[in-house]
This record gives sequence, C-alpha cells and structure tokens, in this order.
Amino acid sequence: MPVPGGSRRAAGHHGAGAAVPAGKMVAPGALRVVRCGGSPRHGARAVFSNDSKYLLCASGDFVKMYSLATEETLRLLGGHGGLVTGVQLNPHNCMQLYSSSLDGSIKLWDFMDGIPIKTFTVGHKLLALYALASSEDSVFVVVPKSSERDTFQLVSVKLTKAAGQDLEAKELSVVLDSVDASPKCIAFGRAGEYVASVKEVNLQVYFFKQKQLNRFSVSAVKAKSGNNHFTCVACHPKEDCIATGHADGKIRLWRNFYHRKEYTFSTLHWHHDTVMDLAFSVEGTSLLSGGVESVLVLWRNESDYQKDFLPRLGSAIEYISMSPDGAFCCTLHTDNRITIINSNLRFSKSIQGLIKSMDIKTGLVVDPRTKALVLNGEPGHLQFYSLQSDQQLFSLDIVQRQYIHQAGLKQVDLVKVAFSAQGKWLATVEEREEVTDPELQLKLWFYDEETQSFKLNTRINTPHEDHITGMCFRDMDESEDDSLLLVTAGRDCVFKVWVMVEDTDPEAQQSVSWSCDFVGSYHNYQATNCCFSEDGSLLAVSFEETVTVWDSVTWDLKCTFCHPPGKIRNICFGRLTCSKYLIGATDYGFLCCWNLLNCALEWSAHLNILVLQPDPLSEYIAAVSWLSKESSLFVFKPNEPRPIYIQRNLCKEKIQLAAFVPRDEPEMISAEKYLWLRRSQLFFLTDTQELMTLSTKSLEERLTPASKQLAVEEGLLVTPFSLLFGRHRRQQSQEDLGKLAVHNKHWQDSPAVKELLHTPAHVLPSASFLCPIFINSLLISKENKSAEEVSDEVEMESENTEDDSDEERDAAEMEQEDTNPMELLGETICKLSKSQDKELRKIRKMDYSWISAF
Amino acid sequence: MTPGAIGCDAQPRGTSTCAVWGAGAMAGAACGGEEARAVCTFSPRERRLFAISSPDGRLQVWDTASSRLQQEYVPSAHLSAACTCLAWAPPPAAARPPPPSKDGPQRKKRKSEVAEVDKQLDILAIGTAVGSILLYNTVKGELQSKLDGGHDNRVNCVRWHQDSCCLYSCSEDKHIVEWNTQTCKVKCKWKGDNSSVTSLCISPDGKMLLSAGRTIKLWDLETKEVYRHFTGHATSVSSLMFTTVKPMNENKPFDGITGLYFLSGAIHDRLLSVWQIRSDRKEKNAVMSFTVTDEPTFIDLTISEVKEEPVKLAVVCRDGQLHLFEHILNGYCKKPLTSNCTIQIATPGTDGDSTPKPVPILAAAFCADKQSLLLVYGNTLQPIIEKVSVNTTESPVCLIRDIQKVLSLKTDVALTKVKTPVVNSDTKVLVPGIPGHSTAVKTPSAGKEKKKNKRKSGETEESIEERLGALGIDVTKVKTPSGLPQTDSFAVLLVQGLESNDAEILNRVLNTRKENVIKNTVARMPVHAVIPLLHELTKRLQGNPYSASLMVRWLKSIFTLHASYLSTLPDLIPQLGVLYQLMESRVKTLQKLSRLHGRLFILVTQAAASETVQDVTEVNQTAKLVYEDESSEEEGSDDEMIADKDSDENWDEDEEKEEQSDEQDMTVEKEINGDSDLEPENESEEE
Repeated sequence: MPVPGGSRRAAGHHGAGAAVPAGKMVAPGALRVVRCGGSPRHGARAVFSNDSKYLLCASGDFVKMYSLATEETLRLLGGHGGLVTGVQLNPHNCMQLYSSSLDGSIKLWDFMDGIPIKTFTVGHKLLALYALASSEDSVFVVVPKSSERDTFQLVSVKLTKAAGQDLEAKELSVVLDSVDASPKCIAFGRAGEYVASVKEVNLQVYFFKQKQLNRFSVSAVKAKSGNNHFTCVACHPKEDCIATGHADGKIRLWRNFYHRKEYTFSTLHWHHDTVMDLAFSVEGTSLLSGGVESVLVLWRNESDYQKDFLPRLGSAIEYISMSPDGAFCCTLHTDNRITIINSNLRFSKSIQGLIKSMDIKTGLVVDPRTKALVLNGEPGHLQFYSLQSDQQLFSLDIVQRQYIHQAGLKQVDLVKVAFSAQGKWLATVEEREEVTDPELQLKLWFYDEETQSFKLNTRINTPHEDHITGMCFRDMDESEDDSLLLVTAGRDCVFKVWVMVEDTDPEAQQSVSWSCDFVGSYHNYQATNCCFSEDGSLLAVSFEETVTVWDSVTWDLKCTFCHPPGKIRNICFGRLTCSKYLIGATDYGFLCCWNLLNCALEWSAHLNILVLQPDPLSEYIAAVSWLSKESSLFVFKPNEPRPIYIQRNLCKEKIQLAAFVPRDEPEMISAEKYLWLRRSQLFFLTDTQELMTLSTKSLEERLTPASKQLAVEEGLLVTPFSLLFGRHRRQQSQEDLGKLAVHNKHWQDSPAVKELLHTPAHVLPSASFLCPIFINSLLISKENKSAEEVSDEVEMESENTEDDSDEERDAAEMEQEDTNPMELLGETICKLSKSQDKELRKIRKMDYSWISAF
Repeated sequence: MTPGAIGCDAQPRGTSTCAVWGAGAMAGAACGGEEARAVCTFSPRERRLFAISSPDGRLQVWDTASSRLQQEYVPSAHLSAACTCLAWAPPPAAARPPPPSKDGPQRKKRKSEVAEVDKQLDILAIGTAVGSILLYNTVKGELQSKLDGGHDNRVNCVRWHQDSCCLYSCSEDKHIVEWNTQTCKVKCKWKGDNSSVTSLCISPDGKMLLSAGRTIKLWDLETKEVYRHFTGHATSVSSLMFTTVKPMNENKPFDGITGLYFLSGAIHDRLLSVWQIRSDRKEKNAVMSFTVTDEPTFIDLTISEVKEEPVKLAVVCRDGQLHLFEHILNGYCKKPLTSNCTIQIATPGTDGDSTPKPVPILAAAFCADKQSLLLVYGNTLQPIIEKVSVNTTESPVCLIRDIQKVLSLKTDVALTKVKTPVVNSDTKVLVPGIPGHSTAVKTPSAGKEKKKNKRKSGETEESIEERLGALGIDVTKVKTPSGLPQTDSFAVLLVQGLESNDAEILNRVLNTRKENVIKNTVARMPVHAVIPLLHELTKRLQGNPYSASLMVRWLKSIFTLHASYLSTLPDLIPQLGVLYQLMESRVKTLQKLSRLHGRLFILVTQAAASETVQDVTEVNQTAKLVYEDESSEEEGSDDEMIADKDSDENWDEDEEKEEQSDEQDMTVEKEINGDSDLEPENESEEE
C-alpha cells in the first residue's frame, strides 16, 4: 500500500531539491511538490505517553506526536517507507516507542527527542504490532502468510539486542495462524497470558503457558438483520473476559473461555451498525465502544442498562484508545480527526487538520476574510482550514440538520460555495440527491460584523429544477453593493442571475434581500459553467459544446464560441493585461484560447485539462492535465501559447481541484520561471484528499512559522525530591546511551593501542609482552584494581573515567549533590538538618533500577 | 518641545538621591496602579497566537485566526508572583538552510531533518513580580524552565536577543541582567540606572541595547558601557521600540546604529517621542512626537525598510481607543503629530439598554500585509480577536460590535469547532412562484429602462396613479347603486378595501365561499378595480394554501367575466406575470400530487371497504350466494378486497393500473373533489 508515499515520491525533483546549498533560499532551486495537509489515514490506534501529556499517532508514513495541552504537533517521526501500521510504547522503557510499517520494518524511537534508536528489518509486510510487558525481547506482529494470499498470521519477532542502528530481525515464530489483517482483531489478555483473535465468525484464544488453543464461533447466519461477523476484540485488563464487537452492532462478553465447552457470553446491544472498536478502561470497570453512528458509548459494569453516551462526534469512530492513567480517551475517526475525551465523557480537545469528506463537491474556495481554504467538511458543514497552521479554524454548519449515520440514506449536503470579493456575502447550494429531481436550496449569507458571524439573508428553494453546475459572484473590488451579482447555472438548461433588491415590504426587517433578475438559456442546452470577466462587464456561460458571452448590463447575448467536438469542461477569463482572452477546456482534450475582441480562436493546445485555475492577482493561469495515469501542471499566460512552467508527473493521482491562495506578502523569487508563484501559492487536492502545494521551501519551514531554533534546557528541578530523582535518572539514561560511545572511544583513544599500531614493528617488544596490555586496554575494568595495577601509567590516565567502583562513584555524586543544591536552591536546601541530610543519603543509596520502568 | 521633554530637560542630571527616591516611589505607585492591567503580546511574524496574562496571574494563549482559547497556564505561584511582562521568543533568522525534502530517498537526510524539527520550540518569557522569569513552551503547553537569581524585585521588561539565545531583563532593583537561556544562568548583570529600569529594547543589528527608567540609555552590549544618553520622559518609560532598521540618508556609511530612530512612550504621558541616534553627542531631545488621547498601553509598528515607506504605528491607549499614525521619518518636526485615524469600538445599544457602550481595545497588531489590523477587544478574560482592514482616510472609525452575541456564538466553537451561523425568522424565503424566484415576465418591448424602473420602486408609483384614477371613478360609481343590496355592498366593500388596502375589509369579502356571491360581486365591480383585485389575489395566493383555494374562485370569475377588459390592457403580460408563474409552479406538482392522491384514495377506499366488510360480514355472507359473476374483477368488489387483504401482489397490480390510467385517476379525483373540499391544491387544476 504505498499510495500515500507514492505521490510524494513522484515529485521528480527531490534530488535537486536536496542539493540546494544551505542559506540560498532565493536561489532558483527546483520546485517541489510538498504535502501540506489532509494527512492520509490512521493506520493504528493512538498511544498516550505515560504521563498522558502527549499523544502518538500513526499518520500515513509518519508517527505524529501531539501535545494534549495545546493540540499542536510536536514532532513528526519520519523514516518509514510505507504506511505505519502499529504504534506501541516500549513496555520496558516508557520513553521509547515501537512503530511498525508496511515497508517491513520495526523502528524503535526516542519520541521525546524524535531520534530513531534502532531499525529492525523483518522483511514481511507488517500489518499490526503488539508489544507486551511480559515478553522480554520480542514483539508480536501480523504478517501475511508467504504461501497463500490474503491469509495472515500472528508471529512473535525477537528483537536482537545487538549494537548498531540497522538490525535484522529474522527470528520469527508463529503464534496464531489465519488471523485477520486488521489490528483491531487481536488482543492480548490479562498480563499477556493469552491472546484472543477474531476472524469472520470465529474467536480463537491461545494460552501461552498451557499452549492451548480454544476456538469458539457464533452461528454464521442468524438473522436477516445483518451478519454477526466479528469486527474487533478487546481483553479485560484485570479479569479473564474478552469483549468482541460484531458487524450487526452487538457486543459480546466472553467468560470462562478456559473451557472449550462451558464458556459463557453475554450480549450488549446498542449500536445499529458495525461496532468499529472497543476499549476497556484501565481498571476494566467500563467498556467503551464506537461505530459509524459517531457516538461513543460507555458501558458500566458490563450491564446493558448502565450506559452513557457522547454523541455528535462528527464521523465514524475508527479506533479508541485509553490513556494509561485513565484520565483521557482518544478516538480516531475515519475523517482524520482526533478527539480527546476526558474520563467523564466530555469533549476535551480535538485535533483536526483537513477533514476528509466523502466527496468534495464544493471545490477549493478561499475565504477572503480569513484567508482560509473552504471546502466540504463533515456532512452539511463547510470547513474553514487554515493553511498556515494546518488546523481547522472552524466548521460552519450550513445545513443545520442532524446528520443521521445510516447506510443508503440520502442526506442533504453542500454542493456549491461562493464568496463575494470581500467575503461579505457567502452563497451556498445544498442538495439532496434524489432519483427524479433533487431537492435544492440556495442560501445567501451575510457576514454580520456586529456579531462576527454569518447570518442567513435569503433562502431560495428549488432555484433550479435540476442540479446546479456552476455558481459565481461578480467580483468587483470596489464592491458597491448594487454591482454585486450572483449567477447560477443549472442542468435545467438555464442560468439565473440574482441581484440584491431593497425590500419594499414594510414588514420585512431586512433592508435587502436577493431575487432573480434574469433567466437566460441557449438552445435548450444544459448550462455547465459560468464565470465573470475581471471587470464584471461580461459573463461567460458554457452550454455543453458552446460558450456564450453575455453583456452583464443588458443581458444580451454578445457572441458564442465553440470548439467541436467535445463539451466544455472549464472556462475562465484572462486577467489584467490578458483580459481580452477567454480560455476554455473541452473534455475532448483541447485547451482553447479565444480573443474576445475579434471573436476568433487565438490558439489551442491538445491537452486533457481537468482543472483550470486563474490566479486572482496575476495573469497566470494554471492548468492541470491528466494523461497516461499522471497529472501534469502547466502554467501559462493567455497571450502566449507557450507555457511558462511545466511540471510533468505532478502526482500519480488525479487532481480534480486546485486553488490559488494569495500570499500575505509577495515572496522574493528571482527566477523567471517561478515568477508566477510570487504573489500567490497554488494548492491542489488529489483524489485521496491530500492537499499539496508547490514550494521551494519544505513543509516544516512553512508550517511552524512561529517556532524558533532555540534549545532551552529544562531546568525545573526545584524540589529536593525531583532533584534527587531527576539527577539519578538522567545519569542513568546518559549511561545507557553513552556506553556504546564510550566503548568505541575507549579503544580508539587508548595510547596503548595507538602505540601498538603506530610504532614500527622492529621497535616493538615481543608480542607476548604486548598482548596483556592490549587485551587490558580493551576491557572495561570494574572493581578489579589488580588489572589496573598491572597496566602501565598511560593506560591509567585513559581509563580514569572508568575505574571508579560503584561505591566510589556514589560518593562522588554525593559530593556533587552537596554542592549543587546550594547553587540551585539557595537557602532553602541549606536549612536541611544533618539528620535529614543523612536520610537523603540513605535514599540516595537505595536501588533505583525500578525507576527505569516508568 | 513636548511638555514631557521639557520636563526632562529641566531636571538636572545629577539629581539628589532624595529626588530619585521620590521618582522611584512615584514609578512604583504607577506600577502598582498598573497591576490591574493585563499584560499581553502577539507571537512574532505571523501573529498566530496572542498571549494575555490576566491580573490574577493566569496566562492564556489565544489563537488569533479562530479567536479561540488555545491553552491556559496557571503558574504555581501566580497569586504572589503575578506576571509583569511577556516576551515571545523571536522567529528564527530568515536565512536558515532549507531542510531537505521529506521525500528525499536518502535516509541520512531524513535524520537531519528530524533533528531540525526538534529544536523548534516556541517559548514565551514571563517576567514576574518577585523577580524570577519563567520560560513557557507554548507548543508543549508546559513550563520549560525558570530563571532565578537575577533580580530580587519586580521584573519590568524582558527582551529576547534576535540571534543568540540571550534574554535581557530589567527590574525594579535597578539592574539589567543578561541571561543564557540554554543554561538558565545569569550571564551578566549590571546596574542600569539609579532608579528602576522599566523598559528595554535591542537594536536591529543586535549589538546595542536601549534601556530606560526615566532617562534613556543606549548600551554597547559587548562592553556594557553607555554609548549615548537621551533625556527621556518625566515619568518612567513604559515602551521602547526601534522604528527603522536602516538610516534614512544612505550617503553615509552605516555603523549599525547611527541614524536610526526609536520610539518611546511613558506612563501618564500622552506623547510618544521619537529619538534619533546621532553621531554627535550633543543632541539629546526628541526628534518628534505623536500625541494620543491617553497613556499608551500597547504599541505596534511596521518597520519601514525603504526610505519612502512610511512607518505605521498603532497605539492602543488606556481609554480603549486605537490611534493609527503613518509618517515618513525624516528629521525634525516641531509640532506633535496627531493620529491619522482613530478606532473605537462600541456596542450597538439597540435592545434593552439604549445607550451604546464603549468596548475597550486591548491590543492591536499589524498583519503581515501591513494593511489589515488584528484587534483584540472586550474583556481580558474573554477577549475577542478580529482582523479588520481599516481605511485610514476616514477618521474616526467606530466599529459596532455586539459583544454579548459574539461571545455566545463563540462558546460553541471552543470545543467542537462547529460554528452555527445565525438563522433568523426575518430571512427572506423564496419558493417557486413567488416573485423574485424567477425573473418577471416582460413584454418583448420592455427594454432596459423598464427593468431599471422595476429594480427601484416602480410599483408604488403605478399604484398611486391607479388609486388616484380609481378614486375619481369611484365617486361616480357609488352614485349608481341598484339591484341586490347584498352583493352590491360586497362590491363596494371590496373596492373600498382595495383602495384603502384595509386587510380587515378584504378578508371579510374575499373569504366568502358562496359561488354565487362571488360571481355577482365580480360582475358588479368597477372595471378599474380589476387589476388591483388581481394583485391582491396574487398576493394572497402566495400564502396559505387554504386561502389559495378560496382565491381561486375569485380568479375564476374574474377571468370569465372580465376577460374582454383584461385583453385590452397593453401591459397585461407584466401585470399578470407573477400570477402566471405562480400558477405554473403550482401546477407543476399537480401530476405528482394527483398520483399521490390516487394512491391514497385507493388506500382509503380499501381500508374503508375492508372495515365495512368486517362490520357487515354477517350480511355479506348471505349475499355471497350470488357468486356467478366472476368477470367483474376490475371493479374491485368487496369480496376481492377480503381476498386481497394478505396478498401484496394483487395490490401492487392494482396500483399500477391506477398509474397507467391517468384518466381514470382524474375522474376519481373529480369525484373526491366533488365530495369534499379537503384538497385545496387541486383547485388550481380547474383553471
């Protein structure tokens, strides 16, 4: 499944991009395709860090680390070459994280610092990852069976402790055969004693100690209402109880499954459709379940009657995970949002970037007021997505109807959106798909500055009798209100012009409302597109194969253009110096440019253009073509048929939508070739709803503008307790990390070795004499002072960092401790009495190895 | 010169200690008064975040784009050590090597990139009243470190150095401290003034430091020696800012500091002074000054990089007003400059309390485009952040904002991010048939002029004309009453009602059901009243469907009786256009309705039939003997109904038949209509 990665790798110029010398920002480096939002799907359950401050979450090829306090992305752990399918904290070290990926590797990270520690190459595709505290040096993964297709097995992988960054992990042992590929279908029971796996209608439980495998199944065909296939499984953390979710919405709680026959199960039923994930609370007293209803259900005491709900989560819940202290619960949704819910079922935080919607019908629109990208969000809502912060600003509930999550139910959704030039007016079209005639509504919203919110001004039912295919405002920058026009084109063969009128009715509270001014049609063809020229004097409406140009004052048909065969797909007017041109793309694969002055075809090109996007601030027009399974970008000025910029192989997916977003301040681009990027930036959305842009800079630089390169030491050791603990821990971790380095350094720097290697052979003493010295120099001596006494003085010097015994080191530290608090704490610590001091020392001498477990 | 400057001049440099003490006490008192004020700052560059510390010591970080509370931090000692100043760590230097592309195939590159991300920390320095400085990480939302041991009194100002990881702070204890933020240790500490040092600013090249108590000093950061003195203000300086990065006259070589301008504001001082750093040490007075209405509390400016580009200055005053200045800095200006534009915010004061109340502006900052402003206003606990583009040519600007409503709308967004736009009952609703939904029908001759007329208020004119005309004829009409008094009075009433536009009279007349009365009334009605009546009827047709069924009767008789008159009218098409469209749109649904009606009819009759059958089973049983007639399946006899009760198939078949034979439907429907007047929609079909 290299889909998410493939697109980015498709950007042909990465080699050149990396070669840009440091510091030369404006140098004409190659333009890269950079993904900037709409992260691909979550591959696995999210994981909380042990202190519940951070959330780690698989997102495409990356593991993202979020801060729960601020909802911001702290780190991006990148390095996997495929979708990340599993994220698990290292059960033996809570500061480390295992991640598995489809590229067949398991990586161990230090996630606080974002450093990859080790990479284990397994070789197979890894579909899920489980790490258990009970298993010392192995993790469990789901891999496809080599012999058969579409069968998977759960294997345990021994992770070797060998040194080095890239390791092979080939010691696999099969635990369970024929398991489901989904990570939700396997769960490990109390203290890792057993593993439960579900597939289709079977539940199998394997006990590690007894090496016993029990199989249970539910009858395959039970009722018409739905299949009762297993969808997910969860194990009780304290008791022997397995909860399974089913496709018909039931949850079964299995007990006594040590016996093949006398097992029991009870059923909980609330969901009307598939249970998508289950999670037990930390203590196991309650069970959380979620499904397509987008309602989180909390079952208390495994009873059907005691349940609580958190409804309106926005979209189907895909994964549920609990924080280790039980304070939070996190749900990952199908539309890429992450919701943090606190223990009493209240919304706490929500981390949402670009929300994935079923189908983006509105296109990409830029809100002139907030400079946010506006498109379909959750059903019936418009999402305002901030490009700068990669966060959703808000989602505007246009339809204002409760969305009912049910398959096959047709619901009202937004299909068209348009903003007036200053963002003062917003026009939305909502539609409910029906077989015969759609239910349409055109709403015109006014931005009320007093309340800082949009206010509905006019609602028009059934503005057209068939689908609305195009809508645009007449954009006049000076924006006198009477020049404001809205045009809608519909498949009912007409286009309608809406104007603002002053209300004559004395009862009406509003001073203005919208009404239809003109209805135009052309030979009873379906109207497909409409757009205004820059000065607003001309309106172009395309009717199937023909483009008609209308005078926007008298509504007379001025002229028609046609480029048969092929229907018109897109039209737009040129701007600024090129305002005499009209550009159209046909679905027969032609891009045509007509001159409006002499009504003649200026030039045409044979290109299968899907998107035609004029830059609102310059003459440039971007066109995205789709040919032989790749998208290419052409940027041109209408007055010359030669494109200014061509980027072939923009991405492997179809690009249906693009938008130019004006920059706040023009970027300094010296290269002639990229002048078109100076004033605005081109964003485009692929079929898989990834937002990409073309940039000479990389993603990080753009997305964290307020960040700074500054390493500030975390100096918050203010209590004596934390001082003690913190010091010890830090030292230990340094020791852990440093061991390898010290080792290496040791024998390279050792003068004995140097001497041995660099002295000419004829000067050297006999080998028998040198040997013990050499061997000794390689040893890391502990407590055996005799060995040190044997070795010569030079070596003593080199090893004097090492040769302290444990006790001695302790003493040394104690001394440090005596001085350090003086500095850091001032008088407070000095007041400690002798007895207290002694006690502290005692504590100090105790064994702290258990701390490392945290 | 400005009064403040004069005051400073008058004060000799070597003041007695007593005087200094007095001034210090005064400054202290002023600071004490300031205690209640919130301290706030915007994040640098994009102004994405806004940090505000309320008087109770809580630090809130707001997202400016969505005006949403992003995080809240309460320092452990927030009550005793309240926040006195905030400073956001500066943005990374512009010329940073671009991190290699993420999609690079080389693993090695990836690692370096990750490391790059690590260092990006967003840090807010918080100075406290007890002398410690807290470094708060706004990305993680936690305290990073605490700088202790530098000051033993209130920290007055904190400034970050642009390039190195240095932090400068000044305090009430007269000292300036340079901190190394990496080790959290004091790097250097020196006495900055004889009284408390209240403000700091670092020069654009990072080599000099401005400090101010009441007088302003320019320090060389390397040697920590005073480079220049400026007279300063009579009261303690609250803000210092460099306004230029390059000297304005380029002919001289630039040493990094000479020729630059900076701005200073002081408490209780309504003048902001601009100073120039000159090579000659003589000049100590302000170059120019800006006057504002009250003590400045928040200042933001755009630094001009080009000579011709004016410096834009936004000053928020204690009285809640915002003043905007635009000025090209070029030497002396004797007179204090007044603001180009003043912005105030007030509540609308429409409902309840009729007097608009001013809303204080807390802070303002220029956006990256240097045109629009970010305004923060309202309560310090729940500020509202708004981006406005201000037209500076018109002044003063008063923005009307309904704080209560904004806040109530905002609460929803805080957690779920779902904003619900306002939908009021006063929304105009257009449904098919209502004028405005589709374009009005025009006579072919009617050109653009006509349309213009319509778009303004042509209709009222016409009606006045009509009324005048009608009035004249009406008098004559009344004189000839004859025949049936009943209907005649109805006609008179109707005409009167139409003229006076009296809804009560019209209701009385138009709500009659009697066919006969209607016909007679219409017949006796004067001809000139026909068109007004038609308009009235059209208006009523748009409303309740029930009333429409009544109006249709009137329409019918009008068209039968006055067709000849109507056909003489030249502008008949536009006159009746609305009515025509209304009919069209109503009739459009007729087919579907009649289909539905047909089905419902079958259902009802079946149900009724089965009920009756059940009721009279006994009786029917006897009649069942006559069972020869097998051919009459079509008629749907009662017996069949019994048989069909369970089997769905036959039923469907029946339904299909119904659909196929529309005519049959129609007849059935007619029957129904004859029987009951329950379906008003079907009335239109008769037209």
